[in-house]
Amino acid sequence: MKKFLKILVVLILIVLIFCLTNNLLMPKYMDSLVEGSMISQYYDEPKNHEVVFIGDCEVYANFSPMVIYEETGITSYVRGSSQQLLWQSYYILEETLKYEKPKVVVFNVNAMRYDKPVSEAYNRLTLDRMKWSKEKYEMIKASMTDEESMSSYIFPILRYHSRFDQLTKEDFEYLFKKKKNTYNGFLINKNVKPVESLPTKRKLANYQFSDITYSYLDKITNLCKENNIQLVLIKAPSVYPFWYDEYDQQIQDYADKNGLKFINFLDNVDEIGIDYTTDTYDSGLHLNLYGATKLSKYFAKILQEQFDLTDYRNDESVNSYYQERLKEYHEETGL
Amino acid sequence: MSLVSGAFIGVMIITAILYYLAPKKWKPYVLLVISVIVYSSLGVKSLIYIVISTITTYIAGLLFEKNKHKKLILIVTLVINIGILVVIKSELIKNIIVPLGVSYYTFQVVSYLIDVYKNKYKPEKNIAKYFLYTMYFPYLFIGPINRYDDISKTLFETDKKFNPQCAYNGALRIAWGFFKKLIIANRINVVISTITQNPSEYNGAFAIFAMLLYSIQLYADFSGGIDIVIGFSKVLQINLKENFNNPYVSQNIQEFWRRWHISLTSWFRDYVYIPLGGNRCSKLRNYFNTIVVFLLSGIWHGVNYILWGLFHGICLIIGKFIKVKNKYVNTIVTFLVVSFLWSFFIWPNAMQALQMMGSVFTTFNYPELFSNILNLGLNLANYIVLIIAVILLIIYDLKKEKINTKLKSLSTDTKIAIFAIIVWLALVFGMYGIGFNASDFIYNKF
Repeated sequence: MKKFLKILVVLILIVLIFCLTNNLLMPKYMDSLVEGSMISQYYDEPKNHEVVFIGDCEVYANFSPMVIYEETGITSYVRGSSQQLLWQSYYILEETLKYEKPKVVVFNVNAMRYDKPVSEAYNRLTLDRMKWSKEKYEMIKASMTDEESMSSYIFPILRYHSRFDQLTKEDFEYLFKKKKNTYNGFLINKNVKPVESLPTKRKLANYQFSDITYSYLDKITNLCKENNIQLVLIKAPSVYPFWYDEYDQQIQDYADKNGLKFINFLDNVDEIGIDYTTDTYDSGLHLNLYGATKLSKYFAKILQEQFDLTDYRNDESVNSYYQERLKEYHEETGL
Repeated sequence: MSLVSGAFIGVMIITAILYYLAPKKWKPYVLLVISVIVYSSLGVKSLIYIVISTITTYIAGLLFEKNKHKKLILIVTLVINIGILVVIKSELIKNIIVPLGVSYYTFQVVSYLIDVYKNKYKPEKNIAKYFLYTMYFPYLFIGPINRYDDISKTLFETDKKFNPQCAYNGALRIAWGFFKKLIIANRINVVISTITQNPSEYNGAFAIFAMLLYSIQLYADFSGGIDIVIGFSKVLQINLKENFNNPYVSQNIQEFWRRWHISLTSWFRDYVYIPLGGNRCSKLRNYFNTIVVFLLSGIWHGVNYILWGLFHGICLIIGKFIKVKNKYVNTIVTFLVVSFLWSFFIWPNAMQALQMMGSVFTTFNYPELFSNILNLGLNLANYIVLIIAVILLIIYDLKKEKINTKLKSLSTDTKIAIFAIIVWLALVFGMYGIGFNASDFIYNKF
């Protein structure tokens, strides 16, 4: 019996040490590459969102749920991540629906132009910190590049073991804890880097979105229909990469066919008040805090006027949380 | 599939489970079926070669009994099998498929054929068992070259029950193989690749550095692979002969070859050197026999390695004339000579290898080497890991018997902990995965 207990203790210790090593070597995405922690921050948030954004960096950099709440009392969350591919958006939506049923899902269509995995690094930012579920497994299968393997997602040590000589204070500080570095999925960036030249409209050989992207867009549409959710397709007002009229027409046709709303914010830049000399942090790829604030106010009005959403500012149980977060938000943004 | 891939680990686990779950009589056949599946998964077309070699030698073995034309059968079968090997290795036919382990199984069938011809043992009548002898999949990746009389008993043994001690010893040996390959060999490979990619800049002192490191790399790589094969076989209670015995402590080249790639050396000894007359002849003839054996060994490695074989033969003969009493001096000199001659393995062709060997005596760029040592692909932390791992390897190799005896006496929980530590070290400090493409073993290509 004593022998058996000893073996058991050793086995438990081994598992603990392997788990600890795994966690230590895995990037924490807290102070550096914070984009990698955005998907997982959702798990710790109250699940009372009536609007959920899904999509790539064009959602997490451009839409501030704090501004939307302050303007309208509508609760929203951005489940965006860097280079979020269409199938990733679909599985993230599927996962979100396990936690809550929003009234509106806003999907940024920029990802329609990518029909195959782009890079391992982007996959990692979206997938590494996601909770294990059927959706995550399917998402990994759909997203892996040729050089990747499922085993390295199940056992991240197989991917990150070479970080043993790159560990920083961040790795130890956040070994057992995490911090919020977004506001309901919105990543604050106060830097200013004006647009210096507008992108040239280079002719493409083919403007047609692929069958695979359409199939996942169909899946998103159907999932929303099944759950009685209004799906809104949007194109954020980023000037890079160039958004072609041919793309726009395809999305408009799709929206018309499926009875969806499509808003291309590139058409409303002046109305929103975006000034590309002050409102972008990377020459037009993404809006900065100031641009995002303008866009969020504009979109908040659309949400308030065109959708049947709740103003939670009178609901103390929800409002108290948002007021606390807003206080922190104003302190951090200085707005 | 590489020996250090997740797929191979999976194959090993599944094979061990099925092997021990199978009814007694079925065990060899289960192993044969798995071997055929593994071999086919690496290329169905290459199956044809191993089938030809197996069937021709199987039939020849049976025909030897009471046959007047024994010698003719032997010669014809040898010509077929060695002919296939020569055609494949010499790449006489363009785009020819190189079957996995072609050298290893050809050497095995040739040794079987000659042994049966010489009535050393009876021919195997069960063709399935004979197929298992040639197709037992682990050895086909990297060796060792087995002899029928050595391996048949435990390979065909049916009365086996799962033995935790054997399983533990085998698993520990596999983990140690991973340690050597992933931490040492793959780490050194980064430096060697950097040096060989730029021969005009990295010569002289850099060449010496590469030669010394390569000695360690090749040993860790090759013996690491063999550890995995022997370790897995131990789990199945199949005894394979050792292929290395501390080769770098050798006092001369002759001793080195008794300790390095033992299964190949002993094969050449038994089936080439001794039939040529061995050392039971005049000294001159003996030197000739030695040179022939090493030339053949060089040719077997490839056209670029003929000079390597020749130089080894010459150094072995010279070693017979030079007697130094200090054993440390002997060991160091032998190590340096062997390292120097690995040049033919390091650089892509014999001409470049000769140039690099020459640069050692003409280019004295030691200050450049020291100032650039951290620009060769490894940072300080990685060099420290490498040095510690090599020290551990040396300690284990020198104290192997003591350590193994001590291991046997340890309690189960301590044994598990030791296994876990080696796995942990290989997992954390090993070089593998994305951005690192050296999972193949150097001796796969031979």
